[in-house]
Amino acid sequence: MNFAQVLNGIALGSLLMILSSGLAMIYGLRGVTNFAHGALYMAGAYVAYSVSTHINFWAALIAAPVVLAVLGAVLELVFFRRMQHRNHIEVGLVTFGAAMVIERVIVLIWGERTLSVDAPSGLGGTTSILGTDYPTYRLLIIGIALALAIGLVQWIRRSDVGLHIRAASHDVETSGILGINVDRVSLIVVCLGAALAGLSGALAAPYVSVYPAMGISILITVLIVVVIGGAGSIGGAMVAGMALGIIQTLGSVWIPSLSVLVPYVALVVVLLWRPTGLAGKRV
Amino acid sequence: MNAPTKTTGPTAPTSDTPVVSPGARRLGLSRGLALRGVVIAAVVLAAGMAVPYIVLDRFYISMLFDGLVLALLALSVGFLARHLGLISLGHTAFYGGAAYLVGISVTQWGWSPLMAALTGLVGGTVLALVMALLVVRSSGMGFLMLTLALGQALYQLSIQRVAIPYTGAFDGLQISFDADATFLGLSVAQMMNGALFWPVVWTALVLSALGLWLVGRSRFGTVLEGIRENEERMRFSGFNTYWPRVLAFTISGAVASVGGVLFALNAAYVSPDVLSFLKAGDALIAAIVGGLGVLLGPILGALLYIVAQSQFNQSGNLYLYTGLALILVLMFLPGGILGSISSIRKRLARRSAKENSP
Amino acid sequence: MTKKLFPALSVLVLGGLVAACGTPGGAATSGGAGGADAAGSTIKVALIPPSSGALAQFGSDAADAWQFAADEANAAGGVAGHKIELIKMDTDATAATTLRAAREAVTQKGAKFIGAVMTSTEHGALDAQLAGLGALEFNGLGKDDALTGKDCKANAFRVVQSTSMDMNAVAEALAKLPGKKWAIQAVDYSTGHTSAKVFKEAAAKAGKQVVLEQYAPLNTTEFGSYITKLQQSDADALFAVEYGADGVAFVNQAAQFKLNEKFNTILGFNMVSEPLFKALGDKVVGYYNNLGYDVSSDNPLNQKFVTDWAAKHGGSKPYYVVADNYLAAQTLFEGIKKANSGDPIKVRDALNGLSFDSIVGKVTMRGADHQLIRSSYLGQVVKDPNGIGGLGWKIVHEADGSVTAPAPDPACKLS
Repeated sequence: MNFAQVLNGIALGSLLMILSSGLAMIYGLRGVTNFAHGALYMAGAYVAYSVSTHINFWAALIAAPVVLAVLGAVLELVFFRRMQHRNHIEVGLVTFGAAMVIERVIVLIWGERTLSVDAPSGLGGTTSILGTDYPTYRLLIIGIALALAIGLVQWIRRSDVGLHIRAASHDVETSGILGINVDRVSLIVVCLGAALAGLSGALAAPYVSVYPAMGISILITVLIVVVIGGAGSIGGAMVAGMALGIIQTLGSVWIPSLSVLVPYVALVVVLLWRPTGLAGKRV
Repeated sequence: MNAPTKTTGPTAPTSDTPVVSPGARRLGLSRGLALRGVVIAAVVLAAGMAVPYIVLDRFYISMLFDGLVLALLALSVGFLARHLGLISLGHTAFYGGAAYLVGISVTQWGWSPLMAALTGLVGGTVLALVMALLVVRSSGMGFLMLTLALGQALYQLSIQRVAIPYTGAFDGLQISFDADATFLGLSVAQMMNGALFWPVVWTALVLSALGLWLVGRSRFGTVLEGIRENEERMRFSGFNTYWPRVLAFTISGAVASVGGVLFALNAAYVSPDVLSFLKAGDALIAAIVGGLGVLLGPILGALLYIVAQSQFNQSGNLYLYTGLALILVLMFLPGGILGSISSIRKRLARRSAKENSP
Repeated sequence: MTKKLFPALSVLVLGGLVAACGTPGGAATSGGAGGADAAGSTIKVALIPPSSGALAQFGSDAADAWQFAADEANAAGGVAGHKIELIKMDTDATAATTLRAAREAVTQKGAKFIGAVMTSTEHGALDAQLAGLGALEFNGLGKDDALTGKDCKANAFRVVQSTSMDMNAVAEALAKLPGKKWAIQAVDYSTGHTSAKVFKEAAAKAGKQVVLEQYAPLNTTEFGSYITKLQQSDADALFAVEYGADGVAFVNQAAQFKLNEKFNTILGFNMVSEPLFKALGDKVVGYYNNLGYDVSSDNPLNQKFVTDWAAKHGGSKPYYVVADNYLAAQTLFEGIKKANSGDPIKVRDALNGLSFDSIVGKVTMRGADHQLIRSSYLGQVVKDPNGIGGLGWKIVHEADGSVTAPAPDPACKLS
């Protein structure tokens, strides 16, 4: 196996990692499977398209997460907070409906065509790394993802807000009794999770191009990643995302036609072996 | 009349069972209840047969026909949700799988429509059994994800190039029946006509609804609801909780297969859409909007869905409206349409009882 | 129990009474059905293009072309004395929705002919129902071979080239293209495999070598692993069959991997086309691709068509989707003229074996499988300041339809 292919796997895994960490955060805290996560990712990509066409790509990398954080706040305030005492599956189905609405609105605004976003100038070519020429842009994605992963995990482990998040994810009622403002923490988590989705969408725009079906096509993969990684465990989702990206890429190198089944097989195997996912209930 | 010779109930403690005839005791159905259900079903069946005579327009009767086929799928999903509290996004595997089996039997093996239909039904049920063995131990979100993953895995398989000789992948499978083939006395042209094929599908729907209702009202249904409420406690009380769930899942899968078979016979063309995530979502949404807690809810939801699909699809905004409808129903009408109506009726009944009591 | 029984029984009795009145089975259809044959009556054509999804742009352009053709015909006094009326329906390109729209158009609105349906999947589903609906359909967009092969139907006519016809044209031109060692990157689907097979045969004949062959599943958007393998092969030319969003992703990612520097020639099949020029940009200058329509052809009918179209559309010229659908309309009109009637059965019989002059030259509607025999081309992308996205086509090779069209498929039994 050669290094370039491994890098391909890591690049895909990085994208999945950023996307799934956001979903895992929301799942961990609110217990809700956010079926709208794919739509949020798609929104991030389309916003990045508009911003990078009018200003530049770096502005898009900042704008997309911000816009998505606002959208996340809407989701939290309108849906999650109101329905927090309802059955989790019902809330999940509400996000399913929200996904359909968001995706259609995006298409109504931007149209049905496939859109392209160019990698920022200077990063459009290849860099020589360990003997292979590899697209610089993909190396950027890998870099950002790793930095984000380390930063996120550290923030959750070390900061006060991170402590509150972990506590609330573990036991909402007790945390509330102990004085943690669960609603405020939820808002932060949902906004952050949505912003991460937006960021991964923006990063994906020059990578896989921007098209109307992109939300649906990534949704199932990222749901599988989060479930495999473990109910709400951010670290677990990250590891699972990276692993799935690498396995799927290598699978497509060796047996392309069956590599599409990899996420499904992985999910069935993991859920039957360890129903709570690989990382169990740890955050 | 006889209650359907269904299954054996689970082993149960004998201390508090009421004194009734042995057969009825095992099934948990009182004679009067079952008789009432069958008579109502017979009346509804006969009344529904008149519909093609009332709705003469080819377009509207085809639309209602499509609604009935979707209703079978929605009914199967609703049954599991109502009695086991499990939401499945994988029933399209049985619906679509049965449809493809019908197509494959006719095009690959040259079988008659009747044999193909039976193959589809049996195959779909077997598929349901296999999936049941894998998924029933999980619940909630895990169950949803597993059924989704397995259903989508089947979809992916059907569109792979290796499957092309069998499924035609994205091109779909044209089912060319022999010119003189018949199905239950109907010629091929009659099968493909929504108005003339109506009696078969209507009968299938009414019988499936009746069957599911009887299963739900039997002791078996009560066991299922017990499992839904608290699976651990049921186990500790001595009930086997695995096989009843497998059985319930398989029964609902069989109903979905019936839908798939009838779809394939009527459309004479199967495409991967029947296995897709969108179709699974459509059936689930139809069931939810109609009302998961009520037997007839999914049927109403399916009919509404088909009507909405043809009326509101201007400029492709169907999914926008469907999404909004789903959100509104889940947030404000949690029991779906029929569920809300029945809870309003209950509330009115309670209020009038309160007024009437001293 | 009697409370529930009484209303049910009354419904039953009522139903029985009504049953005495009508017969089911589509005997009556509302909306001006009859009279399509009467002199001077309007002929209604239903258009069912996709209005959502990735193909929506093609869909609206196809409908536009039909409208243009109908306006042109009506301005000249109609076709054989009949005015043409278009009924525009909506679909999301799934078989079920398109079928429902077709049924509605035919039974409710009196359409007798159907056009602008997009994908081969929809055509398959629709064609199976045409006999029952008593309508004809004109396919200007679906290229799958089976539609005039094992899935052919008597009421369906294809005006656009089939995949085999296009591929045979490419094969003919292969000898002209630079590059000795070829790699094949194709979609893991029937189109991909069929074109790869034809390509390999043609390469052998032209003395070229195929050193790598790989297939990516449909709806792949991450081509890194495939591109890396292409990079590491010793090929100097590439034959790529990836379309739609897959194609755009592939081209963009190939540029990031600097694949253009490796390959002398990149030959696309159904990969590069005008609607994608803006998304692809200058990256595709120099790419070759199969072409169904030559906009600069000096055929007088074509020149008039291009000029009139450009006049109505702010100077932009038509591309293959527009041309193919205009041609579909033209084919229908020729059939009506020959039959001197708007009755679908008569038009159908008139079309078998009909030859006429069209915007793409002299064409024949083959009676054995209802495929229109016409030329196919190979083009190269060049910079064109007047073109869409600053790009245009240079025709490199023209292949005659009678040569590229394979013999009618014996599995086709028009029924």
